[in-house]
Amino acid sequence: MHRTKAVARTRVRDVAATGSPRPVFLDLVQIQMPVGALTSITHRVTGFFLALGVPFGIYLLDLSLEGPQSYARVTRLFDNVAFRVTAVLFVWVLAHHLLAGIRHLLSDIDIGSRLPIARRSAWIVNFGGAAIALFAAAAWL
Amino acid sequence: MHFSIFRYNPERDKKPYMQDFHVDVAPTDRMLLEIILRIRDTQDDSLTIRKSCREGVCGSDGININGRNGLACVTRVRELREPVVLRPLPSFPVIRDLVVDMTRFWKQYDSIKPYLVNDELPPEKERLQSPAERDKLDGSYECIMCGCCTSQCPSSWWNPKRFVGPAGLIQAYRFISDSRDRATRERLEDLNSDPYRLFRCRTIMNCTEVCPVGLSPSRAIERIRLRMLDVQGHDGGLALHRVPTIR
Amino acid sequence: MAVRIAATGLRAWLVQRASAIYMLLFIVFLLAHFTVDPPHSYPAWHAWMTSYGVRIITTVFFAALLAHAWVGLRDVVMDYVHATALRVCVLALLGFSLAATGVWMMRILWMARG
Repeated sequence: MHRTKAVARTRVRDVAATGSPRPVFLDLVQIQMPVGALTSITHRVTGFFLALGVPFGIYLLDLSLEGPQSYARVTRLFDNVAFRVTAVLFVWVLAHHLLAGIRHLLSDIDIGSRLPIARRSAWIVNFGGAAIALFAAAAWL
Repeated sequence: MHFSIFRYNPERDKKPYMQDFHVDVAPTDRMLLEIILRIRDTQDDSLTIRKSCREGVCGSDGININGRNGLACVTRVRELREPVVLRPLPSFPVIRDLVVDMTRFWKQYDSIKPYLVNDELPPEKERLQSPAERDKLDGSYECIMCGCCTSQCPSSWWNPKRFVGPAGLIQAYRFISDSRDRATRERLEDLNSDPYRLFRCRTIMNCTEVCPVGLSPSRAIERIRLRMLDVQGHDGGLALHRVPTIR
Repeated sequence: MAVRIAATGLRAWLVQRASAIYMLLFIVFLLAHFTVDPPHSYPAWHAWMTSYGVRIITTVFFAALLAHAWVGLRDVVMDYVHATALRVCVLALLGFSLAATGVWMMRILWMARG
């Protein structure tokens, strides 16, 4: 029995009724994240990046409609390896977001909202998104 | 077995720390709480944990066990991965060691009016329910308010003062689905009155993952949302077309 | 007397779901269309994109996209940004960016092009 050097990582932030600050344990590394939580946070992160990508998508659409030369420029973008890698990443981000979204829509109407099925569908979403991205990688890289 | 336990005594410690203990666990030892109490009795009598019934009914000894919330009294100790890391419930202010302050949790519970609202003249004996009506309470009335779900819920971490949390919401569902209650519509409107109260839920399902009674708060919240869609409001739907009102 | 701004929990949730379903159908349609009949040249692509039917469903798609992005990003801001003044500023900036994106998109889709 001894004190270890590993300090309990906590933040002292909550002020109790007595006015004295009380520590709060909220160390995200130490708290277990079930597979559903992983799917959920990835859904949020992918959604954020998809929103960031909207202006680039519109820009490419604009370019493709401007005239024959700029249309050719857009189609030639695919010759660029960096662009193709970005495209594969985009496919992964979109596929995960769509699959996780479908999972939520079904859960909303009580399909698969029981824990064992929800766990399984979370795994399917996580691996399904990656699998679709691998297909895209195989086709384009 | 090796245990690493979160220690904090406000009268002595400036900051919490982790303390290691070693206990010989016999084949006859079953639940984690017994071992924690043995550590207290034989190694350090200042170790503090809240407990009462010791059999998963009162919901007092909710703690974070190897990163996952649960009741110490119904957690089989010999199945745990070593070192067994015990911490207080995440995001709740720590009073001492494994005991947390649940004031905010109870305030959220209180805010959903956890009692029947019915102004009709009570019958002589009691308000009766058909067996089918009673069945609708199954899956929500069993909640023991241990706090395991709300403390594991990310939406509650970020907005503990405004998001009711899974425990409060499954209790809200218990009264929404009670045939004797007459305030269903008010309850639904209240939960929609502030987009933080219910709609912070992203169906992460950590609540259902950790519930020691096996309930599904996430599913209760989904059902409340569907009930909101069902309610016929004055303009064809609940608060769908609500305009700013000046009072 | 206090001014109460409309609560938008259920409405935002519905908008998020409805826009998601439309976008899902639209993406499936696009994938199917481009698998069966990929555009071979600029004139073919241009003619397809500027046909009235495609313009209309694309316009609805972008309306759904912007509404969906608004609800999703609004939720992120509401979850993590707690200082009221900062949150209002971030939300205003977000709304402005999305509206500007919408205007840009409408120009591309509906302004006459050679």
